[in-house]
Amino acid sequence: MLKYILLRGLLAIAVAFTVSLAAFFLLNAATDPAQAIAGEDATQEVVETIRARYGLDQPLPVRYAQWLGGVLRGDFGESYYWHKPVAELVAERAGTTITLALSALFVTILIAIPLGAFAALNPNSWIDRVALGVAVSAQAVPNFWLGLIMIILFGVMMPIFPVSGDDTWRHFVLPAFVLGASSVPAVMRLTRTGLIEVMGADYIRTARSKGFRSGALLRRHALRNALLPVISVLAVQLGQKFGGSVITESIFAINGLGRLALESILGADIPTVQMLIFVFAIVFVAMNLVADILNAALDPRIRIG
Amino acid sequence: MTQVESFTVAVPEEAAPLTPRQLMRRRALGHTGFLIGAGLIIALALIALFAPLIAPHDPFVQSLSSRMLPPVWDDGGTWEHILGTDQNGRDYLSRLIYGARVSISIGLGAATIGMLIGVTLGVIAGYFGGWVDHGVSFLLTAQLALPGLLLAMALVFIIGPSIWVVICIIGVLHWTYYLVVTRSATQRIRNLDFVAAAAASGATPRQIIWHEIVPNLISQIIVIFTFELGIAILAEASLSFLGVGIQPPTPSWGLMIAEGKEAMFYRPWLVVLPGLCLFTLVIGANLMGDGLRDITAPEGRN
Amino acid sequence: MNYFLKRALAPAILSAALAAVPASAQQANDTLRVALAEEILNLDYNYTTKREYIILAQMTDTTLFSLDPNTQEFNPAVATGYEYIDEKTLDVSLRDDVKFHDGSTLTAEDVAYTYNWIVREDSESNASGTVGRWLDNVEVTGPTSVRFHLKSVYPLVLRDMAQRIMLRKAGTYDAGGTINRDAMAQQLIGTGPYKVVSFEPGQELVLERFDDFFGEKPAIQKVVVRNLPDIGTQQAEMMSGGIDWMFKVPLDLAESLGATPLATHLSGPDLRIAFIVLDAAGYTDENGPLTNTKVRQAINHALNKADMAKYLIGGSAEPIHTACHPAQFGCDVSVKDYSYDPDTARALLADAGYGDGFPLELWAYRNKAVAEAIAADLTAIGLDVDLRYVKLESLNQARASQDIPAYFGTWGSGGTADTAAIARIHFSMDTDRNLSGDEALAEEVLSAEQTSVQEDRAAIYSSALGKIADQAYWAPLFTYSANYLVSPDLDFPLDPDGLPRLQNSSWK
Repeated sequence: MLKYILLRGLLAIAVAFTVSLAAFFLLNAATDPAQAIAGEDATQEVVETIRARYGLDQPLPVRYAQWLGGVLRGDFGESYYWHKPVAELVAERAGTTITLALSALFVTILIAIPLGAFAALNPNSWIDRVALGVAVSAQAVPNFWLGLIMIILFGVMMPIFPVSGDDTWRHFVLPAFVLGASSVPAVMRLTRTGLIEVMGADYIRTARSKGFRSGALLRRHALRNALLPVISVLAVQLGQKFGGSVITESIFAINGLGRLALESILGADIPTVQMLIFVFAIVFVAMNLVADILNAALDPRIRIG
Repeated sequence: MTQVESFTVAVPEEAAPLTPRQLMRRRALGHTGFLIGAGLIIALALIALFAPLIAPHDPFVQSLSSRMLPPVWDDGGTWEHILGTDQNGRDYLSRLIYGARVSISIGLGAATIGMLIGVTLGVIAGYFGGWVDHGVSFLLTAQLALPGLLLAMALVFIIGPSIWVVICIIGVLHWTYYLVVTRSATQRIRNLDFVAAAAASGATPRQIIWHEIVPNLISQIIVIFTFELGIAILAEASLSFLGVGIQPPTPSWGLMIAEGKEAMFYRPWLVVLPGLCLFTLVIGANLMGDGLRDITAPEGRN
Repeated sequence: MNYFLKRALAPAILSAALAAVPASAQQANDTLRVALAEEILNLDYNYTTKREYIILAQMTDTTLFSLDPNTQEFNPAVATGYEYIDEKTLDVSLRDDVKFHDGSTLTAEDVAYTYNWIVREDSESNASGTVGRWLDNVEVTGPTSVRFHLKSVYPLVLRDMAQRIMLRKAGTYDAGGTINRDAMAQQLIGTGPYKVVSFEPGQELVLERFDDFFGEKPAIQKVVVRNLPDIGTQQAEMMSGGIDWMFKVPLDLAESLGATPLATHLSGPDLRIAFIVLDAAGYTDENGPLTNTKVRQAINHALNKADMAKYLIGGSAEPIHTACHPAQFGCDVSVKDYSYDPDTARALLADAGYGDGFPLELWAYRNKAVAEAIAADLTAIGLDVDLRYVKLESLNQARASQDIPAYFGTWGSGGTADTAAIARIHFSMDTDRNLSGDEALAEEVLSAEQTSVQEDRAAIYSSALGKIADQAYWAPLFTYSANYLVSPDLDFPLDPDGLPRLQNSSWK
């Protein structure tokens, strides 16, 4: 088990380095950071001055080696724009994104699990169809579009929730809904399937034959057993929320890692992009690892290692 | 993001003395979701195919003096431009109709490329296991960790923007679902008796893969393909929305949403309509995928 | 008012009316809330270039001279006057009552330090390039006087002094011998009418009126600058009364929101112009179609720039046919004007042997609707246009490696109403913006900067601009218009150079 976790940890680091290497060369091939820093009306002289100031006049392999050397010493470099260490920048913003990701997950749970449970208790009823409809629709809605629709609805027509910023909990309501909606189908379906499976299991049948009503039954046995695999899927979904935060944070003007990622990519802030790739890769692998471990703990048939 | 999710359990049917093909057709015709999905997809595919005949105007012809006209139901709207015009005075309805072409061709193209990559890697990893499998896992994780936005921005810049580049980028970004499913299916199949028998009779791995394993994966691949179609269409829309996908003046629904965003409080239809088109197309693909899964593998679970 | 405004905006207007208390409370608080899309990360204009930073620097800093946007004359500011001792020696006298935000008084040493720092090799200031071209060093000649030793004759000395160099206290950037170029990036100590109260880079900057400012004090007590990168967000904030001022507003949005009682749409002139640069030199294709003058002239005839200006930019935008803004000194508008005439364009193409058109890659980075309109006009005369709409950085990257046959560019001349501010950067031989490959033209353009006699400069620019037009090195498009949305309570005066001067605003 420990060996497995170590192996996965190594994988995450190897992946982070590979991806950061690819990102480094791709970004440098496609844009000019010095120009991005200088802006629209900068003369060539200004751009050259900036290039020299940031060491961007060095050959690419040299720059990558410098960056790599820094990372091995735990120094991710300084952002071209923010004039501060990238690690500090990421640390400042991580809280916002974690809050958003957890709120989104909360929204997912709030919608998906009751819906899945009711659907499972009444298979092929109207509520089952509603649940299916919700799942299919949520899967088909473009996330960025849902965000814009929310802004149109709430920004102007019903100004109940703010549509931009991250100052109070109310600012997180709409983005959490938009980000959470995308995970509803997977979690809802799994809850439903799991419950139907568990309800068909022998011990539930026995309980039923003894006269337990289905509500009590659901609470006592079925839900608990069916939800264990759902939790492992939620871990994976939480990892994906970080990736999903890119568009959601940008649309709702939330100063988190997602928006930082989008702006750094579009603005060629290479040190920031590089570190974010590390963070995202590690979060992603970690969440999948959590899911694997949960699965293994739940199902003795699965052996990992 | 590709979602690897558990399959729903379909209601088992009574065993009937029918050939598998007949059985499948019967199941298909009795599956409302599948029928709706297939209907939507066929309708939109026909619209895309016959766009030049259906569209009331040329979607590329601009008229700056008649830009931003309102749709027919609004004050000042005319039947000449039923859904009004866009920021360059192009007929919005015609652009929506041509947008179906872009979405569908990118969806099909990208899902195919994703399939080729994912199935190849999945079968190889599942069949050979060991270090090959580790290597593929590494690729999988690397792909999931590489920001698609960055890849798209860089490649569109380096290679130049064309619908083919966008298809390839999205394809390269969407093969993990195929991989995960075909790998575990291959692992299962390769331990079955008939594969062992084939190996014993001297078949090479290549023959075993082509003749014994791949045919058994086809129905699963078709199901995934249908889902990936929807996912690829949404991916194109997102990239185009961010300005790194389809390039203007090609009508893409995602690009149209981005263009309409500026004035969305005043002309909400500019954002709402292309989104609804996307929604309809993707829901069609997903319903079809759900249906196909129930039809091809009624007893299948995961 | 349209459908949506009537039906959906009604409750918003209602709620805005109900929320009118906080709106006028802002006025009572005497706080001007400004939205900027560009992230503000560095307050030291000596180390920045972007337009947003000029806007802020005008509030937090002062310069030796100041530009009167109406007369385009340079008036004394921190300086009280100047005198040329000879061609290359300039004496400047200073005020003795200029205070820094920390309370200390500005001295001649501070002025000399600032300028000498900028031209130092290792300052790496954004101003070094421009100023280093003409300034050798500055010497303190008295408690309130300094002497500038110039390297060469340069006609725009006062302009650079007025617009490029913000005065700093002696030792600011190299206190104790260690160089710190970010010394003023966040905790700025300037001499301007507003001082920095708090600054969160990329989020919020709070400025407060500086009571010891030597000049005319601004009317509004406090300015809060918020970074709202998304124009939709800015708009929502404007509608709910969260901000009082936004700029660079797209025309449609400005007109729609300006038609409501929630905001006022202001539109003023702007020195920015739009144009297409054509690869006449053949950098991308040695004998390509664009090396043919007739093809370039055809492209000039193909563009309906009047419609672009009127419908896509609006306000005070006008079509132009010069490689400069008509309001700039030296911008001779009597040069050849290619009328909008697709038939002539097609005839010229056929004449040049491209009757069937040719593939053209057109790059662009802003105003997508304009880029698409250009592409459509060129398609109409038979060209096969491949539009490459990319980020500015990508366009510049491609241009630096000479991969761009034609691009839709814009230039704001840093708010300077002089052809010098656009000619050198686009037509000297050491800029990759110059796709003409015309060395004689480059020499001519540079020669205009080696004399201070205005008549001579005008004559040189006239000749150069005539050549650019005859050769159709560019396809000039239009002047821009500055679109603002401001709170109905705010009185924000517009200047003819298009630079917003927030320090001049007041409440109605």
